[in-house]
Amino acid sequence: MLLLLLMQAAQSTTQPTPYVQPWVGALAAWVALGFLGLIGVAILYYVFTGKIDLSGLISEPTGDASMSRFQLLVFTFVIAASLFLIIASAAPSPKFPDVIPSGILMLLGISASSYLVSKGIQQSSPEGRAGRGPEIKIAAEKNLTTFGGDTIQFQAEVFGLEDKSVTWTILDPPGFGTIDADGLYTPPASGEPDTVVIKAASKEKLNVSDTESIRVDKAG
Amino acid sequence: MSFAEIVTLEVYVFLGALAAIIGYRVLTGQINMNYLLYGTRKGGAKYFSPERIQLLLFTLGTAMFYLNDVMQHRTSGVLPDVSTETLALLGGSHAVYLSGKAYMMLLKKPGKGE
Repeated sequence: MLLLLLMQAAQSTTQPTPYVQPWVGALAAWVALGFLGLIGVAILYYVFTGKIDLSGLISEPTGDASMSRFQLLVFTFVIAASLFLIIASAAPSPKFPDVIPSGILMLLGISASSYLVSKGIQQSSPEGRAGRGPEIKIAAEKNLTTFGGDTIQFQAEVFGLEDKSVTWTILDPPGFGTIDADGLYTPPASGEPDTVVIKAASKEKLNVSDTESIRVDKAG
Repeated sequence: MSFAEIVTLEVYVFLGALAAIIGYRVLTGQINMNYLLYGTRKGGAKYFSPERIQLLLFTLGTAMFYLNDVMQHRTSGVLPDVSTETLALLGGSHAVYLSGKAYMMLLKKPGKGE
């Protein structure tokens, strides 16, 4: 929406006012366009690389996917995309619709109200309110090793899930040593001392995970 | 390329890329969809939920028909309205879903073995 407002602002700079030079408005619009574009690229980059975690986008605190969140996501996307399509395709030039039909507002109202009522029902139930809390707990046999030194065995306890298997990853810094499928961490042969964050994620529910930190120092 | 064309392209790329990433992650299971069609009974047991199935069908159906409507009138500059009948159907679908959820989570007593 901000971009579309910008577009209108840039178009309006063809009508100079006594107070602002036209190029000032045009320059501001271009700067704002570049800034918003960079934000968009950053958001897409973080989503693509997983730094913005979408695995629980439609999940409840219990870890189960939520139909009320799903339908809200669908309608939000559809109405937003439709609105933009109408604005961008308007002839002879892009413009906002003069009126937002009441049916659209009612559709979004039904969708959002249903989501809120669904959350209310959930909060009224002990099962919905309690959730399951953290379902994975990681433990390390020790939390200090050296470059080229001892391996560290991690253990993951999984609560409340049928599938107890987990995926091990080195969360930060990536590639700082290796960890195998059984949770055995091998430190790198050399490097600068650092704290390593290990993550275990459930294979059954991707958003259920836990992390643990260890330290890798220079030998001696 | 004019300012308006660049803005349009920027928004198309952003929305398209975001939708593609979300769609891909849903299809590959990286966005959690487990138990989407299951409800939770009072007591914590899970059950396959017909009320969620019908809501899913109405949601996807309404969204697709609306998108089709938008595509047919996209050069008009007017956002198409949603008919009263469609809103009534969708409202009914949500009412069934919420009633079923409330009944199962708040009222229905767990049976034997649940």
